[in-house]
Formats: sequence, C-alpha cells, structure tokens
Amino acid sequence: MKLSALFEQGRFVVTSEVGPPKGSDVSGMLREAAPLSGVVDAVNVTDNQSAVMRLGSLAAAHLLKENGFEPVYQLTCRDRNRLALQSDLLSAAALGLENVLCLTGDHVTSGDHREAKPVYDLDSVQLLQIARTMGEGRDAAGNRLAGKADFCLGAVAHPGAEPQGPQMVKLEKKVRAGARFIQTQAVFEPEMFARFASRASSLGVPILAGVLLVKSKAMARYLNEKVPGVHVPEGFVAQLADGPADRRKETAVRLAVRLIRELRPLCAGVHIMPLGWTDLVPEIVAGIG
Amino acid sequence: MIGTIGKPIDEVMSCLKDRDDLFVVGCGGCAKAIHSGGEVEVAGMVEELTRRGKRVIASGVPERTCYIQHTRAFLEPLKDKVARCGALVVMGCGGAVQIVRQATEEWGLVKPVVSALNSVGHFDTVVPGHEFVEQCLECGDCLLNRTGAICPVTRCAKGLLNGPCGGSQQGRCEVNPERECAWILIYNRLEALGELDKMAAYQPPKDFSKMTRPRRAVYDENAGVTLG
Repeated sequence: MKLSALFEQGRFVVTSEVGPPKGSDVSGMLREAAPLSGVVDAVNVTDNQSAVMRLGSLAAAHLLKENGFEPVYQLTCRDRNRLALQSDLLSAAALGLENVLCLTGDHVTSGDHREAKPVYDLDSVQLLQIARTMGEGRDAAGNRLAGKADFCLGAVAHPGAEPQGPQMVKLEKKVRAGARFIQTQAVFEPEMFARFASRASSLGVPILAGVLLVKSKAMARYLNEKVPGVHVPEGFVAQLADGPADRRKETAVRLAVRLIRELRPLCAGVHIMPLGWTDLVPEIVAGIG
Repeated sequence: MIGTIGKPIDEVMSCLKDRDDLFVVGCGGCAKAIHSGGEVEVAGMVEELTRRGKRVIASGVPERTCYIQHTRAFLEPLKDKVARCGALVVMGCGGAVQIVRQATEEWGLVKPVVSALNSVGHFDTVVPGHEFVEQCLECGDCLLNRTGAICPVTRCAKGLLNGPCGGSQQGRCEVNPERECAWILIYNRLEALGELDKMAAYQPPKDFSKMTRPRRAVYDENAGVTLG
C-alpha cells in the first residue's frame, strides 16, 4: 500500500526501518524486522547506509514484502548513474514495491570503501523528477515505458541543518519534483521541529518526524562525530542512560515516547530509527497511544 | 593552471630500474608556478637521482612543456642527448609527459618517458606562490551564470546541482568540515545579488556527453574553434 493512502486517511503514520546485512544471510534482518510486524505501517530499507557496502535495498525490500511487511525502498544517488537508478526503479515496480524514498546518499568517504568513485550522476531532486516521470510512463530520455513505475515518492529533510534557508529552497524543489511525503533526519528538540514544520507547512505534503533511538551516551558522541546530518544535543545526551542494556533500553523507550507525544501535534507521523533495537518499537507505539 | 605534486621518489626510482643516463625535463608553466617542476625542483631531482647512483646527462625547463612547439624548441639543441639517454624524467603534468613522448616519437625515437609528478586538478592561484584551489572541472557546460559564479560541480563534493545535501552544517561540508559548503556560498551570493530565483529553479541532470573523453579542439581560420 502506498503511504500516501494512509496519510489521506488522516492516520498518524508510524514507520520504522531495518538495515540489510553485510553478507547474503538475511535471517538476521528478518529477525530484526519481526517485532515490527503489525506494529508499524511501513518499514524502510536503507541503501548502503553510511556508504557501508551491504546487501542491496531492492532485494531486501522485496524479501520484506514477501514476508508481509510494507517496505519503503530507499534509493540513493551515490552508487548508481541514471541508467542504473531507473533500471532499479523498474525492477522495484516489477517486484510490486510501492514506496520509494529518494536520497542523495552519504559520501563514500564516510563508509567502508573510501576509495570508491562517488557517482552522483543525479541529485535527489533530479531522481524524484525522473521517478515521477517514470510513474507517468516515460524514462528520463523521453522513451515510452512498457508498464509504468508508479510509486509514492518520499524525500528527506534535515530540520536541524543550519542555515535552513538553502535547505528549504531544496526541499521545495523536492516537493515540486514529485515528493508526496517528507521524512526528516533525527529530531531531538520539539521546538526546533516546530520551527521547521511551520516553514514546511506551505509545501502541503505530510511530514514524518525522524525519531532515533540513541542507545547510550557513547553512541550519541559517535553519531555527533561520525554520522553526517545527525546531531544529538547535549541536553538530550544528559538524559541517556549508561550501563546494562535493560536500563538503556528502558530509557530509550521513555525518551522516544515523550518525544513523539510532543511531536505528534506538529507532524503527520513519525519514522522510528531503532538502529537494531526494533524490539523496543512495539512498546513505543503502544506508549504513544 | 594544472596542479601537480611530486610522486614518492621510490615510485619514480622503481620506473628507472635498469635505466641510466637520464634526461630531466621540467615545465616553466604550471609546474613551476606550483613549485613542483621549475628550475629549483629540477635541480633538486637531478641531485636526488645522482645521490641515488644515477647519471643525469641533461636537464632543463621548457617554457611550457604541454605545448609541443615549446618542447620541440627546448629539446632541439639537445637532440643528441635525447637520443643517448636511457629515459626522460618529466616533472610536469600528465599532458607534459605525453607531449615529451610525442616529441621523441616525432624523431623516430623509442624512449621511456617517466612521470615524476601526479596531476591533481585544474587549479587557480588564490594566494600567489602559496595557495592553489580547484574551482573548475572543465565539464563542458558551464553553469556559473546560474550559480552566482561559484561552481557546484567542482566545489560541492557530490557535484549536486539543486542545493545542499543534508550533510551541510553551519556552512561546512560533510566530507571535510574544513571546506565550505558550495551551496551555502551560492545561496548567500545569489541572495546578495537578488537572484535567489535561480536557485529555486529546477536544474535538470547534467549532460555528461560533453565530458566524453578524450575531448579535442581544432581551430580553423574559417570555422573558428570546433570541438570533436
């Protein structure tokens, strides 16, 4: 089902995500996804996340679909030129995938193949534009397609990026190009998100606020140092627990529930990034009511 | 200018194994300007090669080694040494190395031509003699009129054409925080020029057919310059 249909119903949409494995054994990924079954509306599948080479998001999204999940297939511009991107979109359509999140993609220098050639033949705005055209039955060169590639297209936004002016210009272009929903980077401060949501409201598309389950103070520091586009503010870090996993999990659930309750009036849904802790998502979803 | 920087001397030496009576050729253009292949650096290379047990029978710096006419003019009086040398060591860009090869081949000589530098980009001199930066990728389809004379193809690490990525923070690049985000610079400049509408306009995918290599230009009095 397309996410756009859920938004149209006026539902508070909850999505989450899993990362494909480093290797061909998908049993761990399916185990990781299992707690999300019947709990969230859709499950994003990351595309060589943080430029670390993994099993492809297309295959992983297909496997999730076969296992009863509604996948959001993430597609970045980093690793493929326009032929490969369009070809993968056709493959996704043929496999019955319905939701695609189009991203630029972290640069190869942040990953595990730093000597790779970064592609970026297209940027995320152009990918959205071309994907929309493919939904209308034409490829980027204007050729007619035998069978459309009709998706609910999503784009990402970064509410915490400063300055916001240039980010907002680009976000407007993403929506004009074809984005039907926006998923944000991790949000930690409702006030900051409120400012973003207020500016983005004129775009007229639903926004999923990103909620990241930070597992520890050490992880917060790692995210701040190593992961582009993620910044955990000091005030939030101070509330995180250290020590045994049970205690850290309990804290992560409590903080996520509180944050989502505060964000709820400001957005159309949330995208929970559990970073492996998918077992916490049912409790969080139950907690937000 | 073409930016160049010296290769590790061990790499150069590995290409000169079993070669002696060397001829060192610098470049009086770009490589001299960036202190990698002018008279000073050529003298340094001659000294280093000698210290490592090689005989150097000739050395010098053509006015601009990537122009065949300058390289011919430089080598002509030294033709016997070119003929006698075991290899030519070129301290110029990749183009200079290939022009030196062309000059030797024009004389019917088959001489090893060894590159002593790595070419690292089309550089502009922003602090004379000191700082050189890459600002143009020679994409063949200049966008500067739409981006406030700041090139996103070159200065954005991802070459994005429609605005900054999510990794841009406080005007800095996700790839290297010491670098400025090109798209924040472009936004600020277009805003100052009252031309933000240019950034708001959709920029279609780039026509990379204009970068199909190798490109070639031919000048003719009647036709002017044509690319092919």
